[in-house]
Amino acid sequence: MPDNSSGIAAGVDVGTECVKAVVITDAGRTLGRSVLPTRGYFQVCAYEALTAALHDAGSRLKELAGVGATGFGMASVPGATVTVMESAAHARGAFHHMPHAMTLANIGGGDPHVIAVDATGGQTGARGMRRCAVGVGSFLTLAARRLDVGAAQLDELADAAAGDAAVVTSYCSVFSASEVLERLREGATREQVALGCVRSVAQRVLELGSFTDPVVVSGGVAEYFPGVLRALESLLGLRVTTLPEPIYTGAFGAALAAFSERGGRPVLRVVDHAGGALY
Amino acid sequence: MTELASTTALRATMDAYYRSLADAALRGTAPVAWCTSVGPAELLRALGFAVHFPENHAAIMGAARTANRYLPLAHAQGYSQDICSYLTSDIGAYLAGESPLKAYGLERAPKPDVLVFNTNQCRDVRDWFEWYGRELGVPVIGLHSPRAIDDVTERDIDAVTKQLESLVAPLEQIAGARLDDARLASATRASRDTADLWGACLETASARPAPLTFFDGTIHMGPAVVLRGTEDAPAYYRQLLAELRQRVESRVGAVPGETLRLYWDGMPVWGRLRALSTMFAEFDTAVVASTYCNSWAFAGLDPADPWRSVSRALLELFIVRSEAPKERYIARMVEFYDVDGVIFHDCRTCSSNSNTRYGMPGRITERLGIPTLVLDGDVNDLRCFSDEQARTNIEGFVEQLTDARVATAARGPR
Repeated sequence: MPDNSSGIAAGVDVGTECVKAVVITDAGRTLGRSVLPTRGYFQVCAYEALTAALHDAGSRLKELAGVGATGFGMASVPGATVTVMESAAHARGAFHHMPHAMTLANIGGGDPHVIAVDATGGQTGARGMRRCAVGVGSFLTLAARRLDVGAAQLDELADAAAGDAAVVTSYCSVFSASEVLERLREGATREQVALGCVRSVAQRVLELGSFTDPVVVSGGVAEYFPGVLRALESLLGLRVTTLPEPIYTGAFGAALAAFSERGGRPVLRVVDHAGGALY
Repeated sequence: MTELASTTALRATMDAYYRSLADAALRGTAPVAWCTSVGPAELLRALGFAVHFPENHAAIMGAARTANRYLPLAHAQGYSQDICSYLTSDIGAYLAGESPLKAYGLERAPKPDVLVFNTNQCRDVRDWFEWYGRELGVPVIGLHSPRAIDDVTERDIDAVTKQLESLVAPLEQIAGARLDDARLASATRASRDTADLWGACLETASARPAPLTFFDGTIHMGPAVVLRGTEDAPAYYRQLLAELRQRVESRVGAVPGETLRLYWDGMPVWGRLRALSTMFAEFDTAVVASTYCNSWAFAGLDPADPWRSVSRALLELFIVRSEAPKERYIARMVEFYDVDGVIFHDCRTCSSNSNTRYGMPGRITERLGIPTLVLDGDVNDLRCFSDEQARTNIEGFVEQLTDARVATAARGPR
């Protein structure tokens, strides 16, 4: 049951691979969560994710103090009372769990960012990836398909390579995906190619800029492909940690923002392009 | 493909060079200057500097396929993925505390006393040296050459000569020695001999079959780059030239069964030299000549007038010129080497030496009636090169050229 009618809020993070939604208390306890693939009409995806998270929390829309929206499709979140830029949402979400200065790497399906967070939780800088290199999480998902495993098994496959990686070099996700096939044709094992893919993503993240200890990773890649964190740790020579439920960090930060920047009661209305009501 | 016997002497020559460089850096046997590959090496040699060429250092990393380990470290410092991957791999290696010259006792590139650039080839060389200047607290000086020159004029030569002369005072101070005119003349003579001999070596590839390919050239050009101004380079090229002439006489080709002949414009893909060389040989195709290897066959060096002749030679280089003289140059090469087609390497991180971006391949095809192929890649960053795409494109090009030959043969002599 929700704590009280003004003590819960939702956050929805519309990413390039998944839509994530959480319902949290004002103390930062997660009551409900949902993750759905991003597809088709974004407003519908966001609506479905939000209502699923509400259902998971055993809460109702009218109990929400607000809805925070973030991510690449944040403008599509129905009922959003506040929108938060993606880096700021991740910084806010991460700082709630680890209240100290950090280098935060948000590695999701699309556009990773390395975010400098100061001792007060403020974002003091962020550097994103060049357009032709984005899609790292999507690339890993696609690579898993090429390697004939589910996305969740890619990491396990990479572990089985015992450190012997095939070279997957490209910073372009499409280019890298074709390299996967080339390496397989050349005789590399699926395990070696899987490890090569994981290292390739870690290398792309490394190029984003100066990392200072402690390094913390949020986003879907940390959730589904923790091997990337180990590869990054090895490249950086620094300990790399992650957050509780890292795929929800952005949504969590957006929900926190919904408490502090109240914009009225959320109204869920999903319309089609002609303005007709869908929900 | 048979390796040239001179390769043994090449290894010994390069080995001696790196040893002397390491001695200078580690034991202080000579002051150390870094110089861009088409910078004022003769002046530095005449003043007694041991000369390190960072482009050579970076090319070794490219050929050894270690460059991609280092690139991210420079990118993380804000040096873009789009700028020279020689620069980013070299700075990355420094940040990693590594060097391909470790076998010579050098943990990192030899510590310089001065960094001397020439912007005739690009701006990146200056940015590269300035990074080290800041990092190591070492003076950075150089020549600010005009670029994209149509015809090299006396005014251009005056401007560079004055700059060259102005380098003498700071270099003398760093070297702790006065410039001796006789030593400068001697270094210029050695460079002239090197350039002439290296040029003659390359010209042997006009023979059918060609005794060496572009890929051989990229290896054997080492002394022409790093030993300009010394007697070691011409000594090596006399031996190489004798072997190549012997091959021509005996009709020994670098590519057995040579059928097609190609010209290569642009940078090498260092990490794929062997793969590309093998691939072309599979197709009975010899890449017989290149703009790149010819860039160190400087013209007109004159020991009697070192200042102006060096300035002129550094300005007359292909890379310093505008599109029109570049196209005339390629036309001469196409005719001299009697090639069937031209490959233009569009080197992702080297716009200065990619002659693909302002329509030149199309103009060359139109003007000379010769097919051209643009190959995407990079000098050191292998992320920009796809083996699969390269093979598909080269296969298609070879097929196109073969069909054209068959059609020409069917038509018979005109």
